[in-house]
Amino acid sequence: MNTSAQLRMMVFASLMTALIAIGGYLSFPIPLIPVPIVLADFFVMLAGLLLGAAWGSASVGLFLFLGAMGIPVFAGGASGVAVFLGPTGGFLVGYLLGALVIGWVSGKGKPSSVKDFIALLLGDFVLFGLGIVWLKTVLKVTWAKALGFGLLPFIPGTVIKMATAIILVRTLRPYLKSLLPREDEYRA
Amino acid sequence: MAELTLFHYIAKKTLIHGMDGRIKLICMILFTMAVGFSQKGLDLAVLTAVLLMVYMAAGLSIKRLMTEIRYFLVLIGIIVVAHSFTIPGTAIPGLPVQGMTWEGLRSGLLFGWRLMLMLIIGNIMTGTTSFSLFKNVVEWFLRPVPFIPAARVAMMFSLTLVLIPAIFDQASEMLDAQKARCIDGRKNPIARISFLAGPLLFHTFMRADEIVQAMESRCYSEVRTPTAFQTTPTDWLLLGFTVAACLMVLLI
Repeated sequence: MNTSAQLRMMVFASLMTALIAIGGYLSFPIPLIPVPIVLADFFVMLAGLLLGAAWGSASVGLFLFLGAMGIPVFAGGASGVAVFLGPTGGFLVGYLLGALVIGWVSGKGKPSSVKDFIALLLGDFVLFGLGIVWLKTVLKVTWAKALGFGLLPFIPGTVIKMATAIILVRTLRPYLKSLLPREDEYRA
Repeated sequence: MAELTLFHYIAKKTLIHGMDGRIKLICMILFTMAVGFSQKGLDLAVLTAVLLMVYMAAGLSIKRLMTEIRYFLVLIGIIVVAHSFTIPGTAIPGLPVQGMTWEGLRSGLLFGWRLMLMLIIGNIMTGTTSFSLFKNVVEWFLRPVPFIPAARVAMMFSLTLVLIPAIFDQASEMLDAQKARCIDGRKNPIARISFLAGPLLFHTFMRADEIVQAMESRCYSEVRTPTAFQTTPTDWLLLGFTVAACLMVLLI
């Protein structure tokens, strides 16, 4: 990748970090679903799908770094190293590994919606897997309670976000490709 | 949401504004750790008093803080309720809903209190440190770390901080435009998210391209002259005060 393409990917990754931070404040109440949809993990999905494994995980890593440095970017305006040791710490690390998995799976070969779907499924499996195991450990609750608190209320919202991400990526991917220099690799 | 100024730098001439950025960042990280590891209400009360003192010394408006905290109260409320129902313990009698415990309520309230304090710490840091200084501080700390491109990470850090308020405002405008067109009344959640996220992403990437062009036309390079920082006795004194306050809270 040449300098120009690298510079573009760097700026795109920074903007995706800003979107992930803002996504934590954008919520949609959905009828019949107790938990409102928050867009932070939606932008994590898009970071992996649009920027690939390396730059996607770099943007999520930067988001975590911002939070660790004391910028109030985590859910509810939280920040600091201690948040990683709190109940939601597993979900935060899950964001990073989730974006890595999504970018890696969707970036193999020719892009397709089916592959994007599988990538999102695996990415969310990693995200929620890590999140729930850590939640159970920190809160010292049973598996049933951990799943009831950390997974079940989020399933409808996650399905909606996955569907929306796949729809949006179909139009955004060619647009993003058009912004990058032609002779370069699109993905990092 | 648009008037949320938590990420904005407020230029003033105060003791906190004038601190060496590196010392200030260490102090803020120490405070977030002290807040995160505090287990008792008394610890948090001491930290609240200290942080409010620093907040006022930084010349930041308490009234503005109170106004902005209201955006987070709903989320904190949800956390308090969630803790109250999930943490086992003695049930609270006389409530119409069963399952709430005293231990859960206490844990939820402490968690909410911690969130508020972290919000104040973040506000002090971003309100008193300009983005360029913040970038230089991050670069200085990352420079000795192997395998981390310090200049690139610092640049990304700075770009993100600059763009968060701008995109925040743009998202807010888009939400208002949606409301004006009754899109928020639509039941299909996929359509509602697409109508916001789609244009937001297109605008964001368009802006990103403009930023890249501006950087390229100014011959952006990661090879730059390192910033010279100056630490004064006041900085060391303030670091000492922070360490003493944090140790007092965590050890006593």
